[in-house]
Amino acid sequence: MSLYQLQKLIYHVNRDAAQRERYRQDPAAFVKGYELSEAESAALLNVDVRMLYTMGVHSLLLRPFTLLNKISNEDYAKALKGLE
Amino acid sequence: MPIVFACAASHAPGMTAWTEAAPKEQAEHFLGNYRKLGASLAAAKPDAIVALTVEHWANFFLNNMPAFCIGRADHYDGPIEEWLRIPKGRVPGDAPLAAALIDACLDGGFDPTFSDELLLDHATYLPLHFLNPDMTVPVVPVIINTLTPPMPTAKRCFAFGQFLGKVLQDIPKRIAMIATGGLSHWPGEAKHGKINVPFDKKFLNNLIARDLDRLTAYSHNEINAEAGSGGHEIRTWIALAGAVETWQAELLAYEPVVPWATGCGLVAFNP
Repeated sequence: MSLYQLQKLIYHVNRDAAQRERYRQDPAAFVKGYELSEAESAALLNVDVRMLYTMGVHSLLLRPFTLLNKISNEDYAKALKGLE
Repeated sequence: MPIVFACAASHAPGMTAWTEAAPKEQAEHFLGNYRKLGASLAAAKPDAIVALTVEHWANFFLNNMPAFCIGRADHYDGPIEEWLRIPKGRVPGDAPLAAALIDACLDGGFDPTFSDELLLDHATYLPLHFLNPDMTVPVVPVIINTLTPPMPTAKRCFAFGQFLGKVLQDIPKRIAMIATGGLSHWPGEAKHGKINVPFDKKFLNNLIARDLDRLTAYSHNEINAEAGSGGHEIRTWIALAGAVETWQAELLAYEPVVPWATGCGLVAFNP
C-alpha cells in the first residue's frame, strides 16, 4: 500500500491545472508516474469512491477529486453509506 | 495604526457551488449578512487584509506541512476549485506587510514558515469573494494547519493571534483582520452533513462572553469528536479572538445549513 503516493497524485490533480489536464488526457498514463499498488491504480482509475475512502484517502482530497469527476453530493453520500 | 475591522466567517464551498440546494431563507439570511460584512469592511477603508485562514491541500502536502505559514507574495491566484462557481482571479498581496510580520514573529518567539507563492482555495477565496468582492484590498494570508494532525493547539493559536494583533498596532497601515473556517462539519466524510448545533452555539457563546480560558482549552480530541475534522478550523477564530482580545464579538448569523454540510457562522468584532 502506498497511501502517500495515492494522496500525492490526487493532490496534484486537484491543485494544479496543468497536471489536471494531463490526468484528463490520459489517466492510465498519469497514474504510472506514481508508485501505486494495482488496487490503488484501479480504484483511482475507476474513481471508486468507497474504495479510495476505505484506503484512507483524506476526505478533503477525495471530495474535491470526485467533484472534478462530476460525482454528485447524492452519489458521493451513497458510495460512503454505512461506513464510519 | 490600529486594526480597523475584524470578523470571522465560515467558508463552506456549497455557499457558492450549490447555493440553491440550501433552504432559500437560510441561504439569503447567511449570504446577505456575509455581503453586509463586506460593506462594513469596505467602509473601514483598510489598506490590507490579514487573513487568518486554512487550506485544503492547495499548497502543502505531507512532505512539508507548516503549523503556521505567512504569505509574502505580491499576488495570489484562486480559487483552485473549478467547480466552486467563483470566477478565477487574482488578489494582490502585501509583501512588505508580510515581511514585517515574519520579522516580528522571528524576533518575538514565533517561527512561522513563509511563502512567496500560495494558491488560494475556497478557504480564503470564498470569504474574499464576499468580503473583498472587487479583490482590490491586498491580502496577507496567514495559514494555520487545521487540516492534518498534529496541529497547533488552540492555546498556541490564540497566542499567535494575540502576538500578531500587538505587532499590527505598530504598523502604519489600516488593517482588516478576518478569520475563516468552521464551525462543526465533517467534510467529505461518511458523516458528511452532520452538524453539531449545541457545540457551535456553545463555541459562539464562549467567543461572545470572551471566555478566553475556555477558548484556549479546546483540545484536539474534543474538537475532533464534537465538531468534526472541519471543526478544527475554529483555531482561526480563536487566533482572531487573541488578535482583538479586548473587542466584543457580535453574532451576525448562525445557520446550520445541512445541504452545505456546515454549521455556518458570521461574527463581527467591534472595538
